[in-house]
Amino acid sequence: MRASNIVTAAAAAALFAFSGTGPAHASKDELVIGVSQFPQGFHPNFASHVTLELILGMSRRPFTVYDPDWKLVCLLCEVLPSRENGMIRDWTTPDGKDGLAIDYTIREGATWGDGVPLTTKDVLFTWEIGRIEAAGINNQELYRRMEKIEAQDDRRFTIFWNKRVCEAEAINDFDIVPAHLEREAASDPAAYRTRNAYDSDPTQAGLYYGPYRVTRVDPGATIVLEPNPTWWGKAPHFRKITVRTIENTAALEANLLSGEIDYIAGEDGISLDQAIAFEKRHADAYNVVFKPGLFYEHVDLMLDNPVLQDVRVRRALLYAIDRQSISTRLFEGKQPVADTGVHPLDSVHTDDVRKYPFEPETAKKLLDEAGWTDIRGGIRHNAKGEPLRIEIMTTAGNRVRELVEQVIQSNYRDIGVDLRIRNQPARVLFGQTISKREFDSLAMFAWFSSPKNVPRTTLHSTMIPSEANNWSGQNYTGYRSAKMDEAIDKVEVMCSDADQKKYWTEIQQTYAEDLPALPLYFRANAFVMPPWLKGVTPTGHQYPSTLWVENWTAE
Amino acid sequence: MAAFLTRRLFGMAVVLAVMSFVVFMLIGLMPGDPIDIMIASNPDLTPADGARLKELYGLDLPLWERYTNWLGAALSGDLGFSRTYNRPVLDILLPRLGNTVILLGLSSLLAIFIAIPLGIIAATRPQSLLDGAINLFCFAGISVPPFWLALVFILLFAVSLGWLPAGGMGNPSEGLFSRLEFLVLPVVTLTIASLASYTRFARAAMIEVLRQDYIRTARAKGLGAGRTVFGHGLRNAMLPLTTIIALDFGSLFSGALITETMFGYLGMGKLIYDSILGNDFNLALVGLLLATFVVLVGNFLADIAYAVLDPRISFRSLEAA
Amino acid sequence: MSAAATTIAPVHSEALLFWRRLARNRPAMASAVLLAVIALLALLAPAFEAALGVSAARTDLFNQYALPDATHWLGTDEAGRDVLTRLLYGGRISLLVGLVSAAGAAVIGTFIGLVAGYRGGWLDSLLMRTTDGVIALPLLPLLIVLAAIDLTKLGVPDSIANSEMASLYRIVFIIAIVGWTTVARLVRAATLSVRTREFVRAAEAMGVGSATIMLRHILPNVVSPIVVATTLSVGTVILLESVLSFLGLGIQPPVPSWGNMLTNAQELATRAPALAVWPGAAIFVTVMAFNFLGDGLQDALDPRATRR
Repeated sequence: MRASNIVTAAAAAALFAFSGTGPAHASKDELVIGVSQFPQGFHPNFASHVTLELILGMSRRPFTVYDPDWKLVCLLCEVLPSRENGMIRDWTTPDGKDGLAIDYTIREGATWGDGVPLTTKDVLFTWEIGRIEAAGINNQELYRRMEKIEAQDDRRFTIFWNKRVCEAEAINDFDIVPAHLEREAASDPAAYRTRNAYDSDPTQAGLYYGPYRVTRVDPGATIVLEPNPTWWGKAPHFRKITVRTIENTAALEANLLSGEIDYIAGEDGISLDQAIAFEKRHADAYNVVFKPGLFYEHVDLMLDNPVLQDVRVRRALLYAIDRQSISTRLFEGKQPVADTGVHPLDSVHTDDVRKYPFEPETAKKLLDEAGWTDIRGGIRHNAKGEPLRIEIMTTAGNRVRELVEQVIQSNYRDIGVDLRIRNQPARVLFGQTISKREFDSLAMFAWFSSPKNVPRTTLHSTMIPSEANNWSGQNYTGYRSAKMDEAIDKVEVMCSDADQKKYWTEIQQTYAEDLPALPLYFRANAFVMPPWLKGVTPTGHQYPSTLWVENWTAE
Repeated sequence: MAAFLTRRLFGMAVVLAVMSFVVFMLIGLMPGDPIDIMIASNPDLTPADGARLKELYGLDLPLWERYTNWLGAALSGDLGFSRTYNRPVLDILLPRLGNTVILLGLSSLLAIFIAIPLGIIAATRPQSLLDGAINLFCFAGISVPPFWLALVFILLFAVSLGWLPAGGMGNPSEGLFSRLEFLVLPVVTLTIASLASYTRFARAAMIEVLRQDYIRTARAKGLGAGRTVFGHGLRNAMLPLTTIIALDFGSLFSGALITETMFGYLGMGKLIYDSILGNDFNLALVGLLLATFVVLVGNFLADIAYAVLDPRISFRSLEAA
Repeated sequence: MSAAATTIAPVHSEALLFWRRLARNRPAMASAVLLAVIALLALLAPAFEAALGVSAARTDLFNQYALPDATHWLGTDEAGRDVLTRLLYGGRISLLVGLVSAAGAAVIGTFIGLVAGYRGGWLDSLLMRTTDGVIALPLLPLLIVLAAIDLTKLGVPDSIANSEMASLYRIVFIIAIVGWTTVARLVRAATLSVRTREFVRAAEAMGVGSATIMLRHILPNVVSPIVVATTLSVGTVILLESVLSFLGLGIQPPVPSWGNMLTNAQELATRAPALAVWPGAAIFVTVMAFNFLGDGLQDALDPRATRR
C-alpha cells in the first residue's frame, strides 16, 4: 500500500499545486483576443488570412477602406479622391485605352514604427515589387491595372489606371511595405517571399505604422501587440493586446469562460450556433453581438446538368427549401434569408425581385410541369423513367453546412426529389471539384466580398472556367445570360447614381428570375465580448473591426 | 557493440528513406493544391495569378521530379521552406519537437510511476477485488475517446473549478516552471491512455516473477512481502515493460496529436496535421520523418536499456533477434 | 491425412475446456452478452423506427433538442432527428467498421505471420523488418494523409469513390492496411512453434504443398492468438473511428456513426450535453466490452500465459 499512497499524494499535489494561481484574469488595460486560427505568414502581400487581417488592422492602415457603415473612407490618405474635388480625372493610356488618374496625399504624420517617415518612396517601392512576376505577390491583378505611379513630393502621388471603372479610388488592398527595410531583401525578387522581414523577423518596429505594433510572436499560439509610439492618431487605450489562437472552438469557448481570454473575435471565432447556445447560458456575463455580413451562403447549380437546365426545376428546388425555418430555428433569425447575392445593407440592394417563400405545393406543381410526374417509391421519375436524383456537395467537417444540407435533403424528399449528400474536404472541394466544375448538380458554399462588389467573375458568361481558358473565372454554374452580361458590363463603367441603381437592380432581378444558384442566407459573425469592453464595432464585411482599434476602451 | 550500432543506424536510415518516398507520393495523391484554395477564397485573385504562383512554388512539375529535387536538396542539408510560414522547416519544427518531447517524456514517466505500483499491487493479490478494480480502471482509460476526455477535463478543471488553464503554453520566456501548470492537463490526458497497457504489462510481468522459485524461497524464509517483491521482482518486471514502452512510442505520438489539438499545445503532432491538410509539402514531409526518427530513437534506446537491465542479454543476441 | 486427424482430438477437448473457462469469467461473459444485445439493437434499428413512428434521418426544425418522451425515448438532436434510432444506426456503422477492419487486418496479419514463420529465412527477415517499420510509424498523421488522398487517382471506380459510403470503405481499408502488425507477430511466433511439431513434419514428408500445410495444418493451431488480438482490436478501431471523426476524416454525414455523432455534439456540449453523453457512452461501453471479452478469451485460451 505504500506505493499507492505515494501515487495518491503525487496526484493530489499535481492537482492542487497550481490552484493558488487561478486563471490569469487580464487587468483592464490589457486585452486578450481569442481566435481560432493562426496566420500563415505576416507579409500583407503574400498571406491572405482572416486572422492576419485582424492583426494588420491594428498595426497598419490601408489608404482607403469601407467603414462599419459600409462607406468608403480614407485612413492613410488625407482626402478621399472624387471627381468633384478634381482628384479623379480621365486619362488615356499610351495604347489608347480609357484610364483614370487619381491623386492621393499620404496622411500627415504617417511614420513607420522605427521613426522613419512613410513616404511616396514606400508607395513606389511597393508598386514596383507588386509588378515583378517573380516576386509572387498574390493579388497581382491590382498592380497590373496600375499603369504607373507618379510622385509629386514625399506625400503626394498619382496612380494612373489602365481601366476606367467606378469607385476606382478604392485602393483598400494596396498594402504599403517599408522601402527602407525591405529594399535589400527585394533585390532578389524570387527570394523575397522567403527573405522578407515580415516573415523572418515580424517583431521589427519599422514594419508597422498603426496604433499598435507586433512585439512578440509565438508561432501557432500567441501574437502580442503593444502601442506604437509613432502612431499619428488617437492613443489607444489598451497597453497590450494579445491575440491567442485556440483552434478547437469548444476549447476556445472554455478558455473564454475560464478567463484565459477576454473576447472572441467575430471575424475568426466560434460558429454561430455555438454562439447562440453560449448567449443562452452566459448572457449575464458576456455581450454576444451578431453581425450579419457579406458571407453569401448559396447553392451553386450545375447548369450543364440537363435536369437543372429547366428553370422550373431550379425554381421548384428553391420553393421547396424552408429557408425561413432554417434561419429562425437553426440560427434564431441571426442569419437573414437571402434573395440574391446582394446584401440588404448594401446601398445598391433592391427588394424588388422575385421571391421564393417556402411553398412545397408550388414546387410540386413546377416539377409536374417540367415532366417529373411519375412518383415511384416516393421519388419522381420523368417519361423516360429516369429518377429525379441530384447530388449536393459542401465542405466536409463544416458542421453547420452539413446540418443545413440534411435539412434540405428532408425538404426535397417531401417533394419527391432524391438528394444525395457527398461532401469533400475544403481543399478538394475548392481546389478541384468546384473550380474545375466537376460537381454533378449542387454545391453549397459562400462568397465573401466587399460592398458593391460587381459579380463579374461569378456571373458573367466570359467567366466560365474551362480547360480552354485555363480554368479562369468563378462562374462555376456555367450561367450564360446576355441580359446579365450587359448589366454587369454597364454597372462597372456607368457611374452616375441613376445608372448604378438601374443596372444593380437589373442584376438582382435577373439573378432571382434565372436562379443560377439557390440563395440561402447571409452568414453572421458572432462577437463574444465582456461587458467592460466598449467601442468594438463589427463591420460585416471583409475589413475587420480592428481597423478602429484605437476606439476600443475598457470600463 | 560498434557493429550493432552501425547496423541499427543503417536500418534507421533505410526506414527513413522509404518513409520519405512513400509520404511524398501519398501527399502528392491528395487532391487540390494550396494555390487553388487560395484562389477559391479570394475573389480578387485571377487564375492567371494562380498559374504564375504554381510555377513559382514548383507545383507544376510532375511528382517524381519534385521528389528527386527535394531529395537532392535534402541530402545537401537544405530541407526547404515551409510554404505556409515562409520559414525554413527546421526553424518551425525544432521548437515544436522540443515541446512534444517534453509532453511525451513527462507523460511516459508519469505513466511508469503509476503503472508499476498499480501492477505490483494487482499482481500480489490476483483475482482480488482490488485487482479487479485496477483492471476496470485500466480498461476504462483505453475505452474513452481521448478528445472527449480532454474536453471533460477542460470543462471540469478549467471552467468549473478554475484550477488550471484551459490550454495554451504559457510564456516560454518565463522558463519551464511557468509552463508547468499548462502541462498538467495535457500530460494527464495522455497518461491515462497509456497507463492501461503499462499497468497490465507490469502486472503480467510481476505474476510471472512471483511464480519463480527464488521468490517463493524468499517468501518461505519469511522475508516481508513488500521487500521480496520490490527487491527481486521489480528488476525482472522492468524488462518486458521497457519493450512495451518503446513500442508504444509511435502510438503515444498519435495520442499527442489529439491532446495538442484540444489543449492548444504547440507540438509536432498538431503541426504535422495542419501541414498535411494545408498541403505544406516540405513541412509535412520533414515533420513525419522527424516523428519517425524520434520513434526509432526511442526503440533504439529501449534496446540499450534492455541490455543494461538484463546482463544475460548482449548486443550480439539483440542483433540476432 | 492420418497425421492431421490425430491432432483433431486434442483440439476438441481443448475447446471444451476453453468454453468452461470462458463461462467462468464473469466480466467476459457479461461483455459478450452486452455486445450481443448492442448488435441486436443496432440490427433492429428499422424496427424501432417503425414501432415508435420516428425517423433517424428526417429533420424536423420544429422539434429540435426535444427532451425524452414516449416517442423520442432519448429526445431529439439539433436537427430534430430521433436520437435513439440515430444511435442504433450509428451503432451499425461503428460496429461494422470495427468488425470488418479488424477482420481485414487479421487476414493480412495472419497471411504475413504464416508466411514469415513457416518460410523463415530472408523472407521472414524482410517481413518482420517491415512489421517493425510499420509499428514505428506515427500512425495517426499517416492515416490523415491516407484519409485525404484522392481515390479516383488510384483508379478506384467513380461509383465507389464517390458514393455516400465511400468514407466507410476508405476507413475500413486504411485501418486494415496499417493494423495488421500485432496479428502478424503473434501468428509468426505461434507458427514457429507449430512448424516443428510432428504432424507438420509428417505432412512435409508426404510431399504436401507448403500452401496446404500452412492453411490446413498450421492455421488451425494458431487461431487462438488471432481471435484474441482481433477481438481486442475491434474496440480499438471503434475508438479510432471516433478520433478520425474528430479530425474531420471519419464517416461523413448523412451516414451516422458514434464517432461523428460525438464529434458533432462536442461543439454543442454546453447546450445539449445529452447529445454527447449517448454516443460517448455507447463508444465507451462497447470498447470496454470488447476489451473485457478479449481479455477473457485470452485467459480461456491460454490460462498459463500471462494476461496482457
